[in-house]
Amino acid sequence: MTLLAALARRLLVVPPILLMASLLLFISVRVLPADPAGMSLPPTASADAIAAARRQMGLDRPLAAQYAIWLGRLVAGDLGRSVHLRRPVTALLAAAVPATIELAGLAMALAAGLGLAGGLLLFALRGEAAEMLADAGTTLLMSVPDFLWALLFILVFGVLLEAMPFTGRLGPALLQPGGTGFLLLDSLLAGDIAAFRSAARHMVLPAAALGIAFAPPIMRVLHASLIDVYCADHIRQARLRGLSPTRVLLCHALPNTARPVLKLMAVQFGLLLGGALLVEEIFAYPGMGALLVDALRNADLPVIQAVALAYCAVVLGIRALVAGLRLALDPRLRAR
Amino acid sequence: MAGISRRVLLGVPLAAGLPADAARAWAGGDDGVTIGWPSDVPSWDPNRRFVPDAQPIFKMVYDQPLDQDPRLNLVPSLIARWQLAPDARSLELELRDDVVFHDGTPMRSADLRWTFFGRIAAGHRVDTAHAWRMVSDIETPSATRAIMRFNSPAPTAPAWLAFLGSFVVPRDYMRKVGLAAFGARPVGSGPYRLAEYQPRARIVLERNDSYWGPKPALRRVTVEIMRDTATRAAAVQSGQVDLTISVPVREVERLARMPALAAELNPIARVILLQVRDDGGFADRDIRLAAHHAIDKKALSQAFYGAAAVPLSLPAPPDPQAHPDDFTFASDPNLAIQLLARSGHSAANPARIRMATTKGQFPADYDIARAIVAMWRQVGIAAELEVIDYARYFELNRANRLPEATLYAFDNATGDPEAYGGYLLNPNLPFSPWKDVALGRKATGLFDMADAAERLAGWQALNREAVEIGACIPLLQSVQTLVRRKALAYRPYGNGWVLPQTMEWV
Repeated sequence: MTLLAALARRLLVVPPILLMASLLLFISVRVLPADPAGMSLPPTASADAIAAARRQMGLDRPLAAQYAIWLGRLVAGDLGRSVHLRRPVTALLAAAVPATIELAGLAMALAAGLGLAGGLLLFALRGEAAEMLADAGTTLLMSVPDFLWALLFILVFGVLLEAMPFTGRLGPALLQPGGTGFLLLDSLLAGDIAAFRSAARHMVLPAAALGIAFAPPIMRVLHASLIDVYCADHIRQARLRGLSPTRVLLCHALPNTARPVLKLMAVQFGLLLGGALLVEEIFAYPGMGALLVDALRNADLPVIQAVALAYCAVVLGIRALVAGLRLALDPRLRAR
Repeated sequence: MAGISRRVLLGVPLAAGLPADAARAWAGGDDGVTIGWPSDVPSWDPNRRFVPDAQPIFKMVYDQPLDQDPRLNLVPSLIARWQLAPDARSLELELRDDVVFHDGTPMRSADLRWTFFGRIAAGHRVDTAHAWRMVSDIETPSATRAIMRFNSPAPTAPAWLAFLGSFVVPRDYMRKVGLAAFGARPVGSGPYRLAEYQPRARIVLERNDSYWGPKPALRRVTVEIMRDTATRAAAVQSGQVDLTISVPVREVERLARMPALAAELNPIARVILLQVRDDGGFADRDIRLAAHHAIDKKALSQAFYGAAAVPLSLPAPPDPQAHPDDFTFASDPNLAIQLLARSGHSAANPARIRMATTKGQFPADYDIARAIVAMWRQVGIAAELEVIDYARYFELNRANRLPEATLYAFDNATGDPEAYGGYLLNPNLPFSPWKDVALGRKATGLFDMADAAERLAGWQALNREAVEIGACIPLLQSVQTLVRRKALAYRPYGNGWVLPQTMEWV
């Protein structure tokens, strides 16, 4: 089976999953004890005005009909209007999604870097007394959740040392370059180095809080995979050929650990996006998490279901990307 | 951090390649200010959605027909003179002739007509459509004269011209670009123009150098949206913002000890009260009154607001007009016990009710609710506490599903007594869970009363009656917590407005 065919087969499951997710979301949001029609009007609105709004929003129709209307509009790219902000949900998402993906991407890169370094360190220390210490270190890292890292970083690097900014995406003296919404990319495209530096500085602490929390599992899986791989025949042969330990590790062992590590990272990315919800709120970072928290606070049902669906789509997209990467790296998987 | 200089610490690997700025450079600098604000504007159409927290931001970009001074008296703004007819069915207005919108066009009476009548008639979905639904027409005999006509007496119309959502928008520009483009590139006549807007993140405003009124001292204002209270406190402490509001009272006390910061607890025109029902566990008047007598308001103020919040006997702030001194409702647990005994209840056989509270909607709300539940328990009222979102208050009330008592904070930037008792106790409006129509009829009658003195006396009597029959349980005048750089001066307003146009570095 070719790479493309194998990838297409895996992508086939995405639409039905999204459809199921949309149905579940729609039902669960409708079950919430909130009245979008009432909340879309000021408190002084009359009962008649609320009833008219309910009719206009289609809330007086059967649930199945409401879902069909919503799904039809969704397919056409219309996610409705925010009840609280009275703005198109698409515009709100368009501003929030790039911010979150940028943050999560940086956090994942950081987690991967730390995971790789930590995994190699654990492997290098195998059998030594320090291994237990390093193992305890990863356990400690794993037991601290991302939002606690966030608070700790704010306290240490933001408040005590006053070394790093910890709110928003850009310093007050700078204007945000327009474009894709990916601020690092936009500032580079605009040649605005000051904005790039400021944006990067603003992302350090939230990305580190998320990344550090997700690095330990990568360290452990890499460590365990390396131990497994080192029992394999090709490693023994490489050693017998007199290759240096570093070369054996980097050229012969490490590539063979990519499959489990990538699989783990795909799973981790979904969790990391979930973690971004609280971390964004703490760092006043205007991404999907902060948008969802706002929407929950205001019982803004169209925004809640759109953000949740966007989370689902982003996670499925990342998984598809990783699946493609794994298929490209390991031809054996294409036969399955 | 004795022995370690900040410069040395900035050399840590974390900051490598990303040189740190001076803390002050993160904030506004000498010609600007950075403010940590708890919420974003709902949209840049200022008539669209009534959100009290957004008013100070709107007041930078737009002007209101009338303004308020720090003591909440009405003062001229776009309107130089105004005259309410004796029957309160019309309001004559004389507009300034030197006001210019940010796009260079002059502000005229046609813009005022468009804002308060034309765009509502055109079907724009704006909250002002509900607030100004009594406007039957606005005549514009000249470019600087307007006469608002009402289909029922509107004695509070002048106050509403300085209240929620009453900002004049340019008719021609709005018509030309459409609502969506107006939201993206808003044009007002205010002291600042919008320079950049990142939804739910930050707002950058530049001084309008051709402003018709007093020129702001600061050239640039950056509003960083920070929903989390701890983040706002940390940001002002570290110098990343120069001023913030709504931080926990405990944080105010801690930050007040820092030499560079000033931390304040400012009483504002907001009342904290228990909104009550007239049925269920509160059907018995004695139980309602016992619940009121059992609460030690002074202790609540001391414990949660450093004694800065004034205990209230009526549902209005301690203003001589709305809250006369000749009426006090005693905190008296023994009397509460006697009243409960009359209804057959005691600590051993408590009256059972449910109570709702928000958590984080205003400072110490949940803590106050828990303290009240404890005070009630001592006299023989067992309250089951539940937390609700503020956004759901109206919906639960509409569905008649609020519990017997709900802890509630009511903002009234105008300070007018109508907007306290008239809204809070009127069963025809969604604020009040008290559904007995007798009180509502009296409130409705006062809404239409044109004579100012008679009207004021009416609201005072209504508020008093409501407390005497246990239709509401006023608790405290609320406070606004505010922390700022000591060198940043600002003008405090009695309604909690924090206006950057009044700020300067000293």
